[in-house]
Amino acid sequence: MHNTNYIIRFTIVMTVVVAFVLALMVSGLKDIHTLNESVYNKKGILSAVSGQLGKDINTLNENEVGEIFSKQIEQRVINTKGEVLSEAQILEATGGTAKKAEDIDLAAESKKAEAEKLLPLYVFTDAKDQKKYNIIYVRGKGLWDEIWGYITLSEDWNTISGQAFDHKGETPGLGAEIKDNKSWYGQYTGKKLYDENGKFVSVSAVKGGVKIPEHQVDAISGATITGNGVNEMLGRGIKYYEAYINKSKSKSNDTLNTK
Amino acid sequence: MGDLINIFVKSAFIENMALSYFLGMCSFLAVSKSVKTALGLGVAVVFVLGLTIPMNWLIDYYLLGEAGFFKMDLTFLRFIIFISTIAALVQLVEMVVEKFSPSLYNSLGIFLPLITVNCAILGGSLFMITKEYNFLQSVSYGLGGGVGWALAIVAIAGIREKMTYSQIPAPLRGLGMAFLLTGIMGMAFMGLMGIDPAAFK
Amino acid sequence: MAEVQEITKKETLFSFGKEERKLLSDPINDNNPITVQVLGVCSALAVTTLVDKAIVMGLAVIFVTGLSNLFTSLLRSYIPKQVRMIVQLVIIAFLVTIVELALKAFNYSIWKELSVFIGLIITNCIVMGRLEAYAMANRPWKSFLDGIGNGVGYSIILVMVASIREVFGKGSFLGFKIIGPTAEYVLNTTEISWLGWYTANNLIILSPAAMFIIAILIWVHRATNRKLIDIS
Repeated sequence: MHNTNYIIRFTIVMTVVVAFVLALMVSGLKDIHTLNESVYNKKGILSAVSGQLGKDINTLNENEVGEIFSKQIEQRVINTKGEVLSEAQILEATGGTAKKAEDIDLAAESKKAEAEKLLPLYVFTDAKDQKKYNIIYVRGKGLWDEIWGYITLSEDWNTISGQAFDHKGETPGLGAEIKDNKSWYGQYTGKKLYDENGKFVSVSAVKGGVKIPEHQVDAISGATITGNGVNEMLGRGIKYYEAYINKSKSKSNDTLNTK
Repeated sequence: MGDLINIFVKSAFIENMALSYFLGMCSFLAVSKSVKTALGLGVAVVFVLGLTIPMNWLIDYYLLGEAGFFKMDLTFLRFIIFISTIAALVQLVEMVVEKFSPSLYNSLGIFLPLITVNCAILGGSLFMITKEYNFLQSVSYGLGGGVGWALAIVAIAGIREKMTYSQIPAPLRGLGMAFLLTGIMGMAFMGLMGIDPAAFK
Repeated sequence: MAEVQEITKKETLFSFGKEERKLLSDPINDNNPITVQVLGVCSALAVTTLVDKAIVMGLAVIFVTGLSNLFTSLLRSYIPKQVRMIVQLVIIAFLVTIVELALKAFNYSIWKELSVFIGLIITNCIVMGRLEAYAMANRPWKSFLDGIGNGVGYSIILVMVASIREVFGKGSFLGFKIIGPTAEYVLNTTEISWLGWYTANNLIILSPAAMFIIAILIWVHRATNRKLIDIS
C-alpha cells in the first residue's frame, strides 16, 4: 500500500518529532528533577534525626528541608584513615562528580576498596540545646538487594540517638520493616556501640529475646536474612569511621585535659 | 563462572519472573490452558529473553550512557529504544525460525509476535538495568529468566489441564481459577526465598 | 444547505450520545480489561500495595491509553502497514516517557516507589490491545473515549485491590492510619480491648495475595453478572 520511500520518510519524521519533544521535556524539567532528587536525599539523612527535630520528615516541604540543612547540618567527607577531605580532594576522588558529602554516589563508593572509600559525615546541631550529633552512613546487602542506613551518634560517639534504614527491594511486611516499622528501628535509639572496656561491639538484632540490653535489639521474625544483613552492615560499616572516631575522641579528651 | 550460574539459578527459581514478580501475566493466564501451547510459548520466551536482554545491555552501554558513543545522558530514550529493539528482534527471530525450521515456526504460530508485548521481556531488560549487571551476567539473567518463566507456565498448564473435569463453581471457572492457582504457586515459590546458590558449592 | 451540513458535521465530531456512553461504561463492567479481557494484569499486582500508588498508576494508564488511542486513530491512514507495530509501540513509549518525566518532577517519592512499573505500561496489554482492536479502525473522538473507558475500568479494579491490601495489610488508607497497634492509629488495638485480637494480615501485603483478591473479585463479578461465566 505504501511504498518504501514513504515508509522511510514517515519513520524519519516520527523519530525526529518524538526525540525532539522528549529532549525538550528533559532539558526543561532537568532542574526540577535534580532539585527533587537532592531534597529526597536530604530527607533521607534528616530521617535519622527526626527525633531531635520533633516532627515527621515527610511533612516538611522543600524549603524547610533546605533551611534545616543549611542552618543545622555541617557536611564533611572523610576517608577510612580518619582524614577530613577538602573540596578539591573530593572532586578528585569522585572524578569531578561530587563536591560535598550529599553529592557522593554512595552506591559507587560501596564497591570501592576500603582504603579508597569516601565516607559522608553530617554534623547536626539541635536548635533547642545546641547539642551536636554525628550522622554516619552504612551500606550492606539485604535478602534481595542492597540496604543502607544513616545512624545518628551522640557527641560521645557511642550512643545511638537516631536511625533511618532503607532498602532497594526487600519484601514488604518482612525485610521492608527495617524502614516501615517504627517500633522495630526505634529499638536502636539508646543502644551503645562500645562496651565498658572501650571495645567496639556494635548493635545486633538477635532472635529469642535480648540478652545484652546495651548492645542488642529484637530481630524481625521472618526476616532473618535482612536482619543479618543489617547486623553485618553496622559491624563493618561503622568500623570504616573508626579512625575518625578515635581521633575525635582523643581531641575531646585533650580539650578536657587542658581544662 | 560460578557467579553466572548463581544468577541463572536465581533468576530461574528464586526470583522467578512469572511467580515471584508476576511479569508476563496476560499471556501466562491466557495461554496456559494446555501444556502443548504453554511449552511452545515458553520456548519462544527463552529465545527472546536470552537475546533481547544482552542486546539491550549493549545498546544501553554503548549508545545511551555517558560512557557511550554520544557522550550524553540519553537514558530518557531507554523505553523507546528498548521496546523497538525487542520488536525488531522478535521480527528477526520470526523470519529466521520460519526459514530454518518451518515445523517449529508452525507450532509456535501466533505466539512469536505476541511476545513483543509480553511485560516479562521489557521488564527483564529494565530489571537488568536496575540490577547493574555486566554483559555476561545479563546473558545469564536473560536465559535464566526465560527458563524460569517457561517452567512456570508449563507447570500451571499441567495443573489446569488436570482440573478441566473438576467441579469448580461456575463464576470461578476459567480465569478466576487461573488467578487462584497462580497465587498458590507464587506462595510456594516464596519458600525458595533467601536460598543463596553460592552456598551449594 | 451548506450551513445545515456543517452544523450536523460538528455535532457528530464530538457527540456524546448512547454509543459514546457505552464506550465509557462497557469496560467498567461487561468488558473490564482485567477481569474479562485478561489484559493489564502484570502491573496490577506490584502497585496495589498502597492506594496512592494504585491511583497514580491508574491515572497514568488512563492518560496513556486515551491519548495513544487518539494519536493512533488520527494517524491511522498514514501509518505504513509494514511498520505498524513499531509505530504503535513508539507512540505508547513516547507517552509513557512523558508520564515518567512529569511524575519525577511533580511527585518524586511516588516515582521512586513505582520505578520499573511505569515503564511497564508500555507493555500493558490494555494499551496495545485497544490500539489494535479499536483505534486502528475508528474515529479519533470515539477512540479517545474507548481508551479512557478502558483506563477507568482498569483503575477501578486496581483501587479496589489496593484498598483491601492497604487496609487489612497495613491498617491504613491513603496513608491515613486506621487500625493498628500504636497510638498513631485511630483504632488503637493495644488500647481498645475488644480489638486486642487484631493484627495486620501480613500475607495480604505479599504479591500472591493480590492474585487471590482478584480471583475473588472475578468470582463476585461473574456471579452477579452471569453472562460473563466461561467467557475467558
